[in-house]
Amino acid sequence: MKGEVRLDGVGKSFGDVAVLKDVNLQINPGEFFSLLGPSGSGKTTTLRIIAGLETATEGTVLLDGRDATLLPPGDRDVAMVFQSYALYPHMSVFDNIAFPLKMIRTPAGEIDATVREAAARVRIGHLLARRPGQLSGGQQQRCALARAIVRKPALFLLDEPLSNLDAKLRVETRVELKRLQRSLGVTAVYVTHDQEEAMSLSDRMAIFMDGRIVQIGAPEEVFSRPATVEVAAFLGNPPMNVLPASVAEGRVTLGDAAIEFPTLRALGSREIVLGIRPSEVQLDEEGLPATVTLCEVLGEEVIVDLDLGGQLLRVKCPGRTRIAEGERVHARIDPAKVHVFDRATGGRIGT
Amino acid sequence: MRKRTFQNAILIGCGAILLALWTIPIAWAVLTSLKDEKEVLAYPPTVIFEATLKNFHAVLFGPTNIVANLTSSVIIALAATALTIVIAVPAAYAFARLRLRAKRPLGFYVLATQLVPPIGLIIPYFLILNRIGWMDSYKGLVLVYMTFSLPFAIWLLVSYFEDIPREMEEAALLDRASRWQAFWHVVLPQVRGAIAVTVIFVFLNAWNEFLFAVVLGGANVKPVTVSMYNYINTEQTQWAQLAAAALIAMLPVIVLGLLAQKHIVSGLTAGAVKGVGRR
Repeated sequence: MKGEVRLDGVGKSFGDVAVLKDVNLQINPGEFFSLLGPSGSGKTTTLRIIAGLETATEGTVLLDGRDATLLPPGDRDVAMVFQSYALYPHMSVFDNIAFPLKMIRTPAGEIDATVREAAARVRIGHLLARRPGQLSGGQQQRCALARAIVRKPALFLLDEPLSNLDAKLRVETRVELKRLQRSLGVTAVYVTHDQEEAMSLSDRMAIFMDGRIVQIGAPEEVFSRPATVEVAAFLGNPPMNVLPASVAEGRVTLGDAAIEFPTLRALGSREIVLGIRPSEVQLDEEGLPATVTLCEVLGEEVIVDLDLGGQLLRVKCPGRTRIAEGERVHARIDPAKVHVFDRATGGRIGT
Repeated sequence: MRKRTFQNAILIGCGAILLALWTIPIAWAVLTSLKDEKEVLAYPPTVIFEATLKNFHAVLFGPTNIVANLTSSVIIALAATALTIVIAVPAAYAFARLRLRAKRPLGFYVLATQLVPPIGLIIPYFLILNRIGWMDSYKGLVLVYMTFSLPFAIWLLVSYFEDIPREMEEAALLDRASRWQAFWHVVLPQVRGAIAVTVIFVFLNAWNEFLFAVVLGGANVKPVTVSMYNYINTEQTQWAQLAAAALIAMLPVIVLGLLAQKHIVSGLTAGAVKGVGRR
């Protein structure tokens, strides 16, 4: 099966500025793989290096075991959907989708059938005579998808393809995209800054921070065991609370509060960062005393901001919770559900 | 409501004045070209007269006809336009796409060529063409016209090329197009309107140019703008024939304008990329 990607120590510098440092990853055939990270973290550059639109200044790119580091984009058997769609505005939808076929000199009779099939797959079969300018955003996006799948490439690259759609359409298209990828059996590399997208689509994902990959894994794995404080603070909605604290003899000091954490006894005495998911905190009769500073009612749930000894702790409560700003409450934190990171390195400690 | 009507009346009035300023001289030329030479000088000017086409006949078939001059003008204007486009299109594309250090100096150079009063360049050009033996030749005049039209054309086209997202070409490259195919099939069709505009500017400049033509041309190469001057001499000015010649010289310009109008408009309304480009 084709569509394997391997990056070995890939780096990219523009002059003195290194935008990508020592990127190693392996994407398996047929996998839906996301590159997730905040903007400027190097994920789009990585995708463009796989596409051949940028050349790595260090390391090697292997496509199906073949060294493709210096191969021009057209020789890589990859197709790409751009964030802006990059449709050719002077051509009809039909001609846009037919363009890759014409470039590989497909016989005219074959082009017609293949284009219609690709268009039907993304349900724009009735729009073939239109120009891209006459399509809605969602239709343009489908047109770009059809152009990418028409040649049946081994590797399918997507650069934030849903970011120009409105929220509702984005969720619908997301599902369709995954279905399309599964039915084609093609490898997909998907760049996004939207963690929800990455979580719902990916078989595995790589988290980019500051030009490096900080973690690779299945979505639930990355979510439940973030490798660094940065990843922890990036994932989840709202993201995990990361609170600087210190531990000594199994006792954690958090601002002016102290909690017994018998599980942390092995750490001895050191500076740490506590990672606490908003959904893992209970407002209760007992626990750490805190003051409610803000309340966001979202229907299914309520996000409560607490002032915990001068630090912000966000808590996700059930939608029926009634709580007033300024109220004194107690936050109960389950020691078993807390993530611990080293303060100096930001790396995860323990399990 | 009344205010709206009043505003409209003012707007229409201003429009009418501007239109009149533009059309009256042309209408005058048309009338003059249809008059007898004596009628032209009648005072007060006659509006009702017996129209004649003999001026056009004289200008086209008479002993001092301008057909050879029209041919010269066509050759010069076409050659200058064609060469300018052939060089300016790839040059503008390169300037728009490559990170060149010469980008800013180019901008200044373009501006500078438009700032220098042309008359200041006549003597240098005369000396240069004379030295290389290109006086009174097509290549000489075409070369001189290109020194003005080329920077202008490049400058005009660069902004159009810059408006085409790079991603569009990258998409073409990934779709297995060669660089040349990406340029030919994806980039070039999108700047058709801009090229049409450039063609018109360059052609018109070359077609209407008088100063350089009169000094650097001669017996062999005499464009129609210069030949029209023959109707003005020491003994008399043949206004009617001059008007007829001028109208004939105007025709290609008008035809070109009408032909290119569609392109210009469609060139300005094209574009179908949604959202912003890559960060």
